[in-house]
Amino acid sequence: MSELRPRVDAMKPRAPMPTRTADPRPPDKFPSRGRYPSYLAFGACGAFLLLSAQLLIRGVWALGDGEAAWDAYIVSFGHPVYLAYHVAAFIGLTWFALRLFRLFPATQPNRMGPMKRPADAVLVAGLYGVFFTVLAVGTLFLGGALL
Amino acid sequence: MSEKLKKTFIVTRFDPDKDEVPKTQTYEIEVEPDWKILDALNHIKDTVDPTLSHRWSCRMAVCGSCGMTVNGEPKLTCKDPLSSYGDTIEISPLANFPIVRDLVVELEGFMEKFQEVKPWIMVAKERAVEEGTTRQSPEELADFKGFSMCINCMLCYSACPVVSNEPEFLGPAALALGHRYNQDTRDEGSHVRNAVFRDEGAIFSCSFANECSEVCPKNVNPSGAIQQAKLANVIDWATSFVVKRGEDVS
Amino acid sequence: MVDVSRHDVVIVGGGGAGLRAAIAASELNPEISIALVSKVYPMRSHTVSAEGGAAAIARDDDSLEMHGYDTVKGSDFLGDQDVIQYFVEQAPKELTRLEHWGCPWSRNEDGSVATRAFGGMSTKRTWYATDKVGFHMLHTLFQTSMKFGNVDRYDEHFVTKLLVDGGVCRGVAALDIRTGEMKAILGKAVILTTGGGGKVWPFTTNGNIKTGDGMSLAYREGVPLKDMEFVQYHPTGLPGTGILITEATRGEGGYLLNNEGERFLVTRDYGVGNKAELGPRDMISRAITQEIAAGRGVEIPGKPGRYAHLDLRHIGEEKIMARLPFVRELSKAYANVDPVHEPIPIRPVLHYMMGGVDTDIEARTSLDGLYAAGEVACVSLNGANRLGSNSLTECLVFGARAGEHATEYIKGASVGEEGPFVQQAEAEAARIDAFRGRQRGGEKIAKVREDMNTAMEDGTGVYREQASMAKAVKDIAELRQRFEQVSLDDSSKIFNTELIAGLELGNMLDVAEAVTWAAVQRKESRGAHACSDYPTRNDTEYLHHSLVYHSPEGPRFDKKEVTLGVWEPEERKY
Repeated sequence: MSELRPRVDAMKPRAPMPTRTADPRPPDKFPSRGRYPSYLAFGACGAFLLLSAQLLIRGVWALGDGEAAWDAYIVSFGHPVYLAYHVAAFIGLTWFALRLFRLFPATQPNRMGPMKRPADAVLVAGLYGVFFTVLAVGTLFLGGALL
Repeated sequence: MSEKLKKTFIVTRFDPDKDEVPKTQTYEIEVEPDWKILDALNHIKDTVDPTLSHRWSCRMAVCGSCGMTVNGEPKLTCKDPLSSYGDTIEISPLANFPIVRDLVVELEGFMEKFQEVKPWIMVAKERAVEEGTTRQSPEELADFKGFSMCINCMLCYSACPVVSNEPEFLGPAALALGHRYNQDTRDEGSHVRNAVFRDEGAIFSCSFANECSEVCPKNVNPSGAIQQAKLANVIDWATSFVVKRGEDVS
Repeated sequence: MVDVSRHDVVIVGGGGAGLRAAIAASELNPEISIALVSKVYPMRSHTVSAEGGAAAIARDDDSLEMHGYDTVKGSDFLGDQDVIQYFVEQAPKELTRLEHWGCPWSRNEDGSVATRAFGGMSTKRTWYATDKVGFHMLHTLFQTSMKFGNVDRYDEHFVTKLLVDGGVCRGVAALDIRTGEMKAILGKAVILTTGGGGKVWPFTTNGNIKTGDGMSLAYREGVPLKDMEFVQYHPTGLPGTGILITEATRGEGGYLLNNEGERFLVTRDYGVGNKAELGPRDMISRAITQEIAAGRGVEIPGKPGRYAHLDLRHIGEEKIMARLPFVRELSKAYANVDPVHEPIPIRPVLHYMMGGVDTDIEARTSLDGLYAAGEVACVSLNGANRLGSNSLTECLVFGARAGEHATEYIKGASVGEEGPFVQQAEAEAARIDAFRGRQRGGEKIAKVREDMNTAMEDGTGVYREQASMAKAVKDIAELRQRFEQVSLDDSSKIFNTELIAGLELGNMLDVAEAVTWAAVQRKESRGAHACSDYPTRNDTEYLHHSLVYHSPEGPRFDKKEVTLGVWEPEERKY
């Protein structure tokens, strides 16, 4: 988000207005009211996505640079800053995913290809299933149990 | 007769001939418990202050005239019961719109944006009446019916944080209605609308705040429409390199 | 100096009929310039509130003859039969066009357009889009109209006068509500499509904008208003607000019950025969009124008045949600009743004016260059009682006719010397300026309006008496005097809604005058005009249209022949 206070030229027509108007007001008590904080937090989680993606790229880069570089990369994750970041990113992105799951059914069309859309509960359950499966597999993989 | 209650209304006033900026005016009136917000405003206009200006007509939640901000939330005032508020109620014009006078906002911006999504059936060749009606299954109808329920009340624009920040954004109602025509089996103009949709200030400006769908009094779900349109647009764009698009439509 | 703009066709009113007229004119000649002047944004027009459906034959078991006969019988033989024949022929074409333009008509399983039963119709011929048909029609028409580049909209412009000189109408004077400035909008033809004037009465389904503006505009220029005594009471309005609960509730199988839970339309003789709840509106409204008068009305705790029950419970939640979702939404929000579980309290409510500006089958009025279509007009399709779902179709059929005929007409017409028209607009601007914020005898708009409402309810209800109608004539004359003493508080030019309300009140008083004058003259009972002193129809003396003319000395009354020739008048019994 570029600025917290919304701009004031919202919904102004291109054609000149025939009478003097008062500036539009931003939504009431933006962004502290109602659902706005969660929306902004949702947007802010983009930062975790960006940083985590960079970390992954760094890992791929390290792989290319040989075993030593890869080992250093792995070891660096033990640093307290990384640990703190990962805890924060895990919580943030989990919440990000859950908000997305909650809103997901409303974004789906009535029909999916030839099929009628399943009930909302089925869609959400499916998303949770995939999420926790990936989480479990990831945990086992990173914990070394799958290697 | 049911017992009357006393309520205080803090109402935004703005007369461009007299006021530099909007101010508020307080009215204390007796109300019936089953009134809506609009009934109270009409009572003020009829019996207390005839200079108060607001738009309204059908008072049955379908003409879309009476959208305002009530205690900070965008509301269709003819449907919003007084009983859901305390003794003091703040009424102001819809947020995110220039204020013309009192509770009346500027709608021309919306009308311009609405025109841009070409909200009509586009076909290469107009069907003749003699051909009779088009067949459309109940399932095909259901694909767009919900999005066609928009009453243009502007609550979604008032709630949308993207509208606040990006004046070019076509906005929830216009995009949902554009998508409604794209989903209609009778329409052949989706590639034309999609070009508008993927331009700046259209569907990809939506950051999925979902506020539009939260405040919509008709459950149109503009947010859902826009997310669907995003996916449809990506597919449309990708396939446009392989599949030739149809004839000119209007 | 007023701002002058020039067009070919000027349409006043942006509802179903006005938008259809604009599209028809634009399609017929894309070169002409069309002005669409409306006091609200077109999508706010009251067409939006229509619920149940639009009639046109669509099924194999139906015929033009059947639709025609149903309409004639519904009109209590006061409908003009040439008009009715034209209407039923055009109706399916118009609804098909609307389908091509994207109207989301409800569908049968095979994808064909679905139809439902309606009052007074002998088979299922009412096309529907769940129970928001007017809404979908209006938005389809409005959105379709946006593709025509030669339609110039004047949104939120209130027409205060027709510009007439030398016996021809060549434009309108309109107040730009936003700026408070007057404009002269000139054209070679003017089409009135401003709807009816239900707000003349207190308990009405009509929205705030239904103030009979177009009727008054024409009336003041000497064009007669026809059959004004016939106003329709819809049987099912919600308590307090008068919000419409569609006839489709009964079309889908709903029952009307009294306080004993009895289906009185079945158990008692109200003339509707085995049609029961699907009888015509005038008869059902009278039946409910009689039930209430006989002490069999339903009480609502804490509310005044008596009601009947509209019971939909046996229809079931699934069908209610599929066919009548808006009825459920309205009942919950405005009557605190969920029709899936409880019966809805209802009573007859003023809904529609069969009368209006007298036009011929081409939608032409007696004033050269002036057309009218839709509820504002009386083309004599509906006679003494309109059948439910004929009026939305009427907007399309005669809106299109007006648009097409006006487009033909302007080929041989010119505005001529503009001077007199512009001068009239300037005089009108001065009148409006004097009215805005004027201080006179201290009468208030809201009070005069309320008293007019009361006078009209007392004088022109479901049942009328000679004495009460005569009193209403007198009351309205007095109210006109009081209107001259109205003071206005708001002197601002910008979006002055008090000024608009004042002008609308003036228009409503014109309509009220014409209604009461016409009503008191008709000493018989026909269709919606149920006169207690004269309880039967009298074809010998009253098989004619009534005309009311405005004159400075007071209204003048006249008659006009009914066009028969296909169906002979007979006793109206179902």
